[in-house]
Amino acid sequence: MTIVVAYKWAPNPQDAAVGSDGSVDFSRAKSAISEYDPVAFELARQVADATGAEVVGVTVGDASIDTSLARKAALSRGLDRLVIVADDRLAGADSTRLAAVLAAVVRGIGDVDLVLAGESSVDVTEGQVAMTLAGQLGWLGLNAVSSVSATDGGYAIERDVPSGTASMVLTGPAVLAATTDAVLSRVPGMKDILGAAKKPVEVLSLDMLDVSSAQVTLTAVSASRPAAGNRQRVIIDGSDPTAAAAELVGALRAAKVL
Amino acid sequence: MDFGLTDEQELLLDSLRELLERECPESYIAELDRTHQAPTSFRLALHEAGFASLGFPEEYGGTPCDAVTLMMLTERVSQQGLNNGYGIELLQAKDILEFGSQEQKADILGLLAAGAVPFALGFTEPGAGSDNSAMTTTAVHRDGTVTFNGTKTLITNALDAKYLLVMAKSSDGDDERTAISMYLVPMDAPGVSTNKLEKIVWNTNDSCEIFMDDVTLPESCLVGRQGNGFRQLMRNLDLERLVIAATCLGLAQCAFDDAATYASQRVQFGKPIGSFQLIQLKLTDMAIKLENIRNFVYKTSWMVDQGIPLRSQGALCKRYAAMAAFEVADDAMQIFGGIGVNAGTRVSRLWRDLRGHRFGGGTDEIMVHIAGRQIIREHR
Ligand SMILES: Cc1cc2nc3c(=O)[nH]c(=O)nc-3n(C[C@H](O)[C@H](O)[C@H](O)COP(=O)(O)OP(=O)(O)OC[C@H]3O[C@@H](n4cnc5c(N)ncnc54)[C@H](O)[C@@H]3O)c2cc1C
Repeated sequence: MTIVVAYKWAPNPQDAAVGSDGSVDFSRAKSAISEYDPVAFELARQVADATGAEVVGVTVGDASIDTSLARKAALSRGLDRLVIVADDRLAGADSTRLAAVLAAVVRGIGDVDLVLAGESSVDVTEGQVAMTLAGQLGWLGLNAVSSVSATDGGYAIERDVPSGTASMVLTGPAVLAATTDAVLSRVPGMKDILGAAKKPVEVLSLDMLDVSSAQVTLTAVSASRPAAGNRQRVIIDGSDPTAAAAELVGALRAAKVL
Repeated sequence: MDFGLTDEQELLLDSLRELLERECPESYIAELDRTHQAPTSFRLALHEAGFASLGFPEEYGGTPCDAVTLMMLTERVSQQGLNNGYGIELLQAKDILEFGSQEQKADILGLLAAGAVPFALGFTEPGAGSDNSAMTTTAVHRDGTVTFNGTKTLITNALDAKYLLVMAKSSDGDDERTAISMYLVPMDAPGVSTNKLEKIVWNTNDSCEIFMDDVTLPESCLVGRQGNGFRQLMRNLDLERLVIAATCLGLAQCAFDDAATYASQRVQFGKPIGSFQLIQLKLTDMAIKLENIRNFVYKTSWMVDQGIPLRSQGALCKRYAAMAAFEVADDAMQIFGGIGVNAGTRVSRLWRDLRGHRFGGGTDEIMVHIAGRQIIREHR
């Protein structure tokens, strides 16, 4: 049995520059495992340790995602092996196309019954890839997953839903997108980092995969930051808590929030 | 010459950054400093992530690691603002791994794994500070036992530690190279008593005087060979000085970053104070000192890794790093103006902690004493 972790080698937001118009410039940012993905690595490792499954990392993108640092960074996070598609024809690819390539890789690996991913990538933040991947594979797709554990013949899942937490069990193959705080991912230690260089990496050519070329072109025209809102800047004196609470309620009512 | 990081170093520093963000934020360090507590939970987290056995032989569950990488990690932890957060225990444990008995090794490694401080180093005495040969603590071997008498002072972490690594005279004579032996004495052995010292630096490390009155232990407490204690201690001393230098580098970098940020935000005379050339001059000279310390630390570490004899290099590096780092923190404090001397500000803590490093591991002056003699000898 194999568990796939689908992750992105993405620019690190700590290095991003925010322009005065609100635009985010990632051009000088160093890349790293996308910030919301380590939870997927950790969940996969925990399930695999309980079931004896193999954990395979999969990432697709332009040629720059395949460096020795990028490989070791992923492999030091508990993967058994790694499969990469790195092709400049995927530069700036939309989420549907990325999901199609990921699906082709997952099909090629075979024997996969679980794909884990983060909630979204840290740079694009659309949160579409995982569920589109499920659609491409024809598998069940669940987002907002806060816990996964193996049961007899399937998995027990918990999801964060607006009304609280929902528990469910599933059988058969699925793609799960984990919440950013689903689990505390372990920090790779020296042994994990040194061991990473010795793990197998397979680089697949885009041409070998059964993926149709992009049918639709998507071009970003402009972007704007959300409206700042009309701030009232009301400061309530808190020295008498009861009076302050009453004043706060009054102010919120006046603003038609309550 | 390659100043770049290897993939492994980059990933290790990334891991450490993650761990520091989680387990060692400024609020944690400030609270430890205020309440005079040791960073035990952070040490434990370091151990769990495999950082606390770097450089140990694999047979003891460690991972071999070069000195350059170890110093990078030491620098990074102190750059967080935590003094003595990484490195010293590793080196001390190395003394035991190299010279200790099987039982001593197992005991010390077990304590390290639990995030504890396995032992403090008991060298300094009221009458023997810089001058080791004036040591008067005695260790008398008789019928399979050793009896200790004497006083140690200014000992770091002893109140927090299970053992004291005692340096004591096991034979008469002033030659420290043959008269001194090394022992592991449990801090709770009958006859051991302590007196806590209140110091104005290093709040996260306790300090005390230790009195040993007829403390009698089985001879198995001897570490290594009798009469070889001083040589055993010296063996890792250069590395220890390097750890101190790397610690100073990180603390000074932290002070510099705080001061530069403050300078760009604090407005006086209608402008950020960073726009005044006098402040820029300070920041520029601080940056030069940091660059010099960094080059000194990494070049010296590289020499260790190449097996090049350090001769005076370790003492030169420790002296320069401790003094220049303190100057950086002092200028940082000046840039903060009056709030810099308020208790609870990070810059005041860094300034205090850096001051302590001009004594521990040998004073500024003793570094001259060591390096100066060596320089003259080499030019005779
Ligand atoms: C924060 C801190 C932690 C410490 N931790 C430990 C520890 O864990 N274990 C331990 O054993 N010790 C420890 N020490 C003690 C430290 O090693 C000694 O303070 C140091 O060796 C100096 O000894 P002293 O304080 O007795 O000063 P002294 O030796 O009395 O020196 C006083 C002054 O005279 C100078 N001086 C002395 N001899 C000479 C000379 N020949 N030429 C020129 N100047 C000279 C010194 O540099 C100093 O300025 C610690 C000290 C400090 C401050």
